Amino acid sequence: MGEPAISIRNLTKRYPTVAALDDFSLTIPTGTIYGLVGPNGAGKSTLIKTIVGALRPTSGSVSVLGHDPLDDRWILRRRIGYMPQENALYEDLTAAQNVRFFGAAHMSGDDLDEAVARALAFVELSDRADSPVHTLSGGMRQRVSLACALVHPLDVAILDEPTSGVDPELRRAFWDRFRSLSGAGATVIVSTHQVSEVVECDRVALISSGHLLLDATPHDLLARSATTIRVWQRDGTVRDHNADDYRTELPSILHADVERVELVQEPLEDVLLHLIEEAR
Amino acid sequence: MSGHTLAVTARVMRQIRGDRRFAAAMIIIPVLLLVFLKVVFDAMDVPSVGQQRYAVLGVSYVIHFVAFLLTALVVVGERVQGTLVRMFINGYRRLEIVGGYLGAYTLFATLQSVLVLIVAHFLFSLDYSMGELGQIFLVLWLLAILMMSIGILVSNLARNVAQVIPFVPAIVVPALFLSGIVVEVSKLPTWAQVVSRVIPLYYSTQVFGSLFSSGSIFDDLWAFLLLPILAVVVLGFAAMTLREEL
Repeated sequence: MGEPAISIRNLTKRYPTVAALDDFSLTIPTGTIYGLVGPNGAGKSTLIKTIVGALRPTSGSVSVLGHDPLDDRWILRRRIGYMPQENALYEDLTAAQNVRFFGAAHMSGDDLDEAVARALAFVELSDRADSPVHTLSGGMRQRVSLACALVHPLDVAILDEPTSGVDPELRRAFWDRFRSLSGAGATVIVSTHQVSEVVECDRVALISSGHLLLDATPHDLLARSATTIRVWQRDGTVRDHNADDYRTELPSILHADVERVELVQEPLEDVLLHLIEEAR
Repeated sequence: MSGHTLAVTARVMRQIRGDRRFAAAMIIIPVLLLVFLKVVFDAMDVPSVGQQRYAVLGVSYVIHFVAFLLTALVVVGERVQGTLVRMFINGYRRLEIVGGYLGAYTLFATLQSVLVLIVAHFLFSLDYSMGELGQIFLVLWLLAILMMSIGILVSNLARNVAQVIPFVPAIVVPALFLSGIVVEVSKLPTWAQVVSRVIPLYYSTQVFGSLFSSGSIFDDLWAFLLLPILAVVVLGFAAMTLREEL
């Protein structure tokens, strides 16, 4: 296994009244789509802002592509793309002018022209390139913001709730794009509080109250979900049986009065909620 | 000027052009203020010679606070909407950002100064030679740059737009009373004379004083030089104090 894209050791970020991150450690492998999952206020944005060097940690260390985000900021800023939670766009400028301005920090001339056109095509906004941002819908603004983050060649894309407030169709398109970025070798870090998106990631970190509760693959998480044998009897009653004990339960379950049997998987959302509740 | 600075300047210029209401207000308001000044002069029967001098000082006062207002809300506005942090993370540096703002607003302030001076020339029937008008423009232009630099610095220090508001009267009002426009600084108490030295308008008023008495702004060379020197110092300080971190 090569060098991790991001390595976080014992990171603490303390504000006067609260610790947003508390002794947080995490390793993010290169080339993965890594989900930061947790409820609002879990510390996801604080973690992201610390990774991109916008926040100074109280203690602990962060290494991005082998560099310190604060000491080596000028090396790193050429290699990372950052999409903040708020759109952070210039409303009076057009979509293309916004993308061009942030791209101009990395390139110029024909390279910049091509990169702007490519980024807008990537988010399927080429036809609205010359529309002022204030005339675009919320979803379109999200797409412009994503284009601004991905306009330059990058090794790590750090995206803070990019699918928040985005309709399901566009959300699907976003994840396809993240997958194509990852396929090209980039590490993609995506924060989300939408549990349904967990399965889109290669790995996820479950964060709550500034603590890392779990670092696992979606498959690992699904394996944690309980399975129930749901039995419909002819008299109309429905009974749930623990599937773990099916060897002992099955003879008593399967009798003449049974009309239908179904295996019911515990939703992923419930698995994550249980983990968060257990941590509390 | 680096490519990054030019990119910031070009972006701000596009924004000013796009926000026509703001651009129009910043051009029309100084002209309106000059019209009000003329009305007051006429009502007070200020003699023509006095009007020639006070019109220039009035123009300098208007340029002084409009230039400050131009930039005072800029940085804090970008910080609040998140674009400042985004600029930094994309690789724009502090001096490039501050220089870019100043580049754009200097172009705007130049246009504003020329227009205000032309209006003043006709409104007050100014009897200055082209050379003298050129010198007046140079002082107004340097004063505008200094005040824009102060605006950027104040904007840096604020965490939100509301925190900028108290600075507006704190900078604009003492300048009127203590800069030498209303009353000669030498007639003020010692403490007020000391305070006047930190007011940019004091130096421009001194320079205009030498223009009125000897026909050249360079007679009080030190006061003249202090305008660009202070602008560079304040701009450097503004760049140093621009916070990259949240």
